[in-house]
Amino acid sequence: MLLIILRRLGQSFLVLFLVAFVSFMIFRYVGNPVDNLLGQEATNDRRDALIEALGLNDPLHVQYLSFVGRALQFDFGISYRTAQPVADMIIQRLPATLELALVSAIFAMFVGVVAGVYTAINRRGFIANSILSSSLIGVSLPTFLIGVLLIWVFSVELKWLPSFGRGDVVDLGFWTTGFLTVSGLKSLILPGITLGLYQMTLIMRLTRAEMLEVLRQDYIKFARARGLQDRTVYFGHALKNTLVPVITIAGLQLGSIVAFAIITETVFQWPGVGLMFINAVYFVDIPVMSAYLLLVGTLFVLINLIVDLLYLVIDPRLRDGQLKRTGG
Amino acid sequence: MTETLLELKGLEVTFTTRRGTLKAVDDLSLTVKRGEILGIVGESGAGKSMTGAAIIGLIDPPGRVSNGEIWFEQQRVDKNPESMRGRQVSMVFQDPLTSLNPLRTVGDQLVETILAHMDVTKAEALQRARDGLTEVGIDPDRINAYPHAFSGGMRQRVVIALALATEPQLVIADEPTTALDVSVQAQVLDLLKKLCRERGTSVILITHDMGVIAQTSDRIAVMYAGRLAEIGETREVLTNPQHPYTQGLMASTPSVDAKSFGQELFQIPGAMPKLDALPSGCAFNPRCSQAHARCQTDRPPILADRAACWLMENAS
Amino acid sequence: MRRFLNSDFFYAFTRSPLAIVSLLVVVLMVLSAILANFIAPTNPFDAASLNLMNGFTAPMEPNMFTGETFLLGTDDQGRDLFSAILFGLRVSLFVGVMAVGLAMVLGVLLGLIAGYLGGWLDTLIMRLADIQMTFPSILIAMLIFGVARGLLPAELREEMAITVLILSIGLSEWVTFARTVRGSTMVEKEKEYVSAARLIGLNPWQIMLRHILPNVLGPVLVIATITLALAIIAEATLSFLGVGAPRTEPSLGTLIRVGQDFLFSGEWWILLFPALTLLALALSVNLFGDWLRDTLNPRLR
Repeated sequence: MLLIILRRLGQSFLVLFLVAFVSFMIFRYVGNPVDNLLGQEATNDRRDALIEALGLNDPLHVQYLSFVGRALQFDFGISYRTAQPVADMIIQRLPATLELALVSAIFAMFVGVVAGVYTAINRRGFIANSILSSSLIGVSLPTFLIGVLLIWVFSVELKWLPSFGRGDVVDLGFWTTGFLTVSGLKSLILPGITLGLYQMTLIMRLTRAEMLEVLRQDYIKFARARGLQDRTVYFGHALKNTLVPVITIAGLQLGSIVAFAIITETVFQWPGVGLMFINAVYFVDIPVMSAYLLLVGTLFVLINLIVDLLYLVIDPRLRDGQLKRTGG
Repeated sequence: MTETLLELKGLEVTFTTRRGTLKAVDDLSLTVKRGEILGIVGESGAGKSMTGAAIIGLIDPPGRVSNGEIWFEQQRVDKNPESMRGRQVSMVFQDPLTSLNPLRTVGDQLVETILAHMDVTKAEALQRARDGLTEVGIDPDRINAYPHAFSGGMRQRVVIALALATEPQLVIADEPTTALDVSVQAQVLDLLKKLCRERGTSVILITHDMGVIAQTSDRIAVMYAGRLAEIGETREVLTNPQHPYTQGLMASTPSVDAKSFGQELFQIPGAMPKLDALPSGCAFNPRCSQAHARCQTDRPPILADRAACWLMENAS
Repeated sequence: MRRFLNSDFFYAFTRSPLAIVSLLVVVLMVLSAILANFIAPTNPFDAASLNLMNGFTAPMEPNMFTGETFLLGTDDQGRDLFSAILFGLRVSLFVGVMAVGLAMVLGVLLGLIAGYLGGWLDTLIMRLADIQMTFPSILIAMLIFGVARGLLPAELREEMAITVLILSIGLSEWVTFARTVRGSTMVEKEKEYVSAARLIGLNPWQIMLRHILPNVLGPVLVIATITLALAIIAEATLSFLGVGAPRTEPSLGTLIRVGQDFLFSGEWWILLFPALTLLALALSVNLFGDWLRDTLNPRLR
């Protein structure tokens, strides 16, 4: 048990190390930091002084270590475009992204599992089949199109919901939240659905497939043969076994939700880190790109780790180290 | 001992597939007496498992009971098998490794079953669960262990405890020892037999293993291609089989004694027909050495309360 | 050809209306993209042919100033939308096909090397694949796009945008190919014909490319089709976000981006028609890919 956890932690550190290295390489070698900070016309003396100050002449591993050290203190350098510290920009925009991601994740998980269980239990039902066929279109529909279509219907035509921004937010000092105002909550609906829809169809299909698989198992047959009620069989036996893989995948999707927020935030002009990143790509704002990569990379590694550890808690067979999970 | 517990009257189970309707069980009639162990033997695909599933009402679609009646304690139950499933009739499946929910403790699954059928408190159910484990020879302190902590034989004991937890009158055991090591088979079988005898529980023991049947059952029903071929007292059927199929089956069963060393086993020529290509008349006639004209046209009923074979006509 | 017409594959195809329709749509779109120059009524990027007076003409309605009628209407600059869509389709398909081609070549090669040679190369390639798999490919594509832009001098950025786009999508999609090919290669490697080839002294590259490759191509084609749908959507997404095809060479995604701006002022057609085209393209490639996968290799799920 301890060994598994330790090995898992080791893997996570390795990936983090790699992600940090890629961020570093981008930060250091893409574009020219000196030109970007001083402009092309700076004197050679000022250039040399800056090169010295930034430690650009140091050996590579020293530069890398100092990059990691600064990142650990939340220092990602200065944005080329806005001349603000990148860390400040992130802190300012992170709440918007996290609130949006949270709403989408809850929407995707809840609706996805309910719809998945429903379609699995009522396999031959008309409604279940309709849900399934429409989900196929949902998978082919690019996220940004879903957003644009939702804006068209609910903002332009029906004028029910706002089409951009967060609405009124409440500043809690360290955090700005849209959960406390009506306009803030209304503003969350369309982007939340847009961002969560794809993951929802994914979770629904997965839940359905897993549930059908579980329902074929002998222990379900045996549970029925023992005369347990359908409800007990479905929710007491099948659901728990279904949820193990579903939670794993859904948990892994959390990272994707934050990453896909880039698209949704652009469509809805949502002032989060995703919009910040896409602007950075467009204007070649290297420090912001590098910091975003580091941030999202860390998030992915953490989520992967937590999901794996959670898996250990849920499945007693893994806890006793009986089964080896295949793949990383 | 002679009171009838279960009666099947002309039971028929059909599967509707793209290629037509298949009869997995065809006009099967038999009775199980109170406290009796009835063995059902046959090759795979003979319809024996399907018979068990039909009794407890758990045939997966597209299969269904399409004809016939099932009577249990003088009540017709084929329309509402839920009324007795788990309570009066329970089941033991083939593979103990997959019969238990891996994510729930054995105690949890026992208590749940007891509470579902018996009017007892949670504490009483727990006590019953512990008693049940003790009876099948498992340390009751392992009640909070998960199934994977037990070996195959031990798990089958848990399964038996689960099947007997609600004090049913009939246990359907579908190949209960096939998946186990040979050395464990006898123990599990003896345990099942002992517990059922003590309680006067009837058992339908479904197996393809003649040895298991000989060791355990009071009466034998031989099935072939969904139909009943022969039925009778175990000793009678084994020592004096009437149906040519049973005779072949007996001759092809290996026995371990000094005489038979190095002897080649008898083989019945051919193979059991597929259900979508049954011959007319007696299903066994293409493989039967004693078949005559009538066997190819008319299907024999059970004659002399013993075998579905035209050869029996003269005997009766 | 006759052998193909008699095959189970072709029979299955004729029995599946979904497969026939989706393939028809794809073929139709590919043809109109290739022949865009001849089909399109106007060249949408020839500034001289544009008449600003024609701006915002609704579909099938004569323009109030010039009296000209356009099948799908015009955009703000009086550009015929039908022509713009045909040329946009061309850009989308070109980027998609090239990106999948790149991903396929890269993935198949790496998969062959990993599966056949094994050892530390295998570990390295597969670890890399694992790590890349944990991140969504669209994010990887954006990152590559951003880095490539950063490496290019500012004046080349617009000009090279399409190449950079192909590169970033291609590099973000190779993993599936590599994993599948690696798996089948490891199976093929153990078969007699490979041992025979080794015995007559062929070098590893000859064995990999001439002997193993033809035997692992089946699933590769299926993955290529499914990846094509992903690549088309990825391209549209990047272009929609403004970090893809430039305005001088708009793809369907760029057109949708432009169209979104006019949604509030009521010019819905500028958004709707490019969106429908993209949807039809992505959906039919997807459906055909799904069908192909189910038919050729039911286990590849």
